Amino acid sequence: MVSVLLAEQSYLLRKGLIHILRQFPEVGEIEILGSQLGIGEVLQHFEPDLLIVNSAITAASPDKNWESLLPEDCRLLHIINTGLPQGAPENQLSIYDSKVALTEKISKTLKAIGANRDQDESEELTPREKLILQHVALGKTNKEIAADLFISTHTVISHRKNITRKLDIKSVSGLTVYAILNGIINMEDIS
Amino acid sequence: MRIHADMKMADLVHLNFEVLAVVQRLQIPFGFKDKTISDVCREHSINVDFFLQLVQWFNERENFPQEQLIQGDAQWLVRYLHHTHQCYLNYQIPRIEKEIEFLEQLPDMPDHSARLMLEFFREYIREFTEHIEDEENTTFPYILALGNTLSGNMDLETFRKRYKTYTIDKYLEHHSDLEEKVFDLQSILLRHLPPPSSNCHFTNLLLEINRLGNDLKDHTLLEENVLIPKARQMELELNQRSANQ
Repeated sequence: MVSVLLAEQSYLLRKGLIHILRQFPEVGEIEILGSQLGIGEVLQHFEPDLLIVNSAITAASPDKNWESLLPEDCRLLHIINTGLPQGAPENQLSIYDSKVALTEKISKTLKAIGANRDQDESEELTPREKLILQHVALGKTNKEIAADLFISTHTVISHRKNITRKLDIKSVSGLTVYAILNGIINMEDIS
Repeated sequence: MRIHADMKMADLVHLNFEVLAVVQRLQIPFGFKDKTISDVCREHSINVDFFLQLVQWFNERENFPQEQLIQGDAQWLVRYLHHTHQCYLNYQIPRIEKEIEFLEQLPDMPDHSARLMLEFFREYIREFTEHIEDEENTTFPYILALGNTLSGNMDLETFRKRYKTYTIDKYLEHHSDLEEKVFDLQSILLRHLPPPSSNCHFTNLLLEINRLGNDLKDHTLLEENVLIPKARQMELELNQRSANQ
């Protein structure tokens, strides 16, 4: 499922975009913001695959410190409050775009997100992911896991993301419960 | 349907039963008879705009009244959030804990699994209680004091003395995500546990967990997108005022 954060101040535009987004079965959660206020706080716990943001909201937060909070592979679509010139970038949606044009642009973006995921479509944990999960459940930090398994912290983080997506469990204690239930670690292993 | 102040309170509830949560958290007693929303709010000294903003949002989830809520008086929001906390701590959470305890007695639960859930949930209750106590003891009084100072009910000096170094950013430093573990528990029960045969009980537990999780999401939205920006706005106003003095 693709999760979307929609930051748009106009009620009418929000309604229209939600209507179009809901036509795609792969779109899951849609979080909505009506201004730049609170965007940083939302991104602390909501990791969108797609951010659709009005250019006025981007302009209202010139330091854009929330941009660093976006997940690495998050795609961006900008809503532009004017018409677009010929050959404008495909990640720009104009408020004057027709439904067909909007649907096409959004569809392309969603496909790109999907293509990224296809490499790892299965919902089963790989042996490698099980090994990482075992370490996580034992309370190890990403750094410790990386050192133990001779891999980079970046690789550990990417494995953990996949584990969380496949199992739909985010917290370490939730992952620990899963690991015990599935015999990946023993109850006695945790203090 | 358009919700307005002259609508009958009982009709509003019939339109969407979820608004009962707002009614309860603003401590409005039932027995509305034929009274309108504005009658009931006046009788119980509730800010009718605040009430309408919340129930309209409950009725149209995609239209969160962020700006209006930020413009409103912070005391109403704090009051609402406070009663929401009470509802979680005294009712919703103990109920779920009891239901999980009951799972332990089911004969077909796999070894340790109910005990694991229970330990997981009790750890969550500890974190949850800490989080709420911090808000109740520190953050809420701070926001109310900010409002009182701006409205002249508290003098600036008293405020500065009381909050020498505290700002809303301090609160954010240890503001943790409350709904994450609730949804984790939901996933474990729904996706990763062999289904026990007492399905009625199990389903009810899932429904209650889901309700709590969704409710917590609303709660987080109100805190992060209204309360915190509102506090920042008040801090800024106060700083400007003291700079002008």
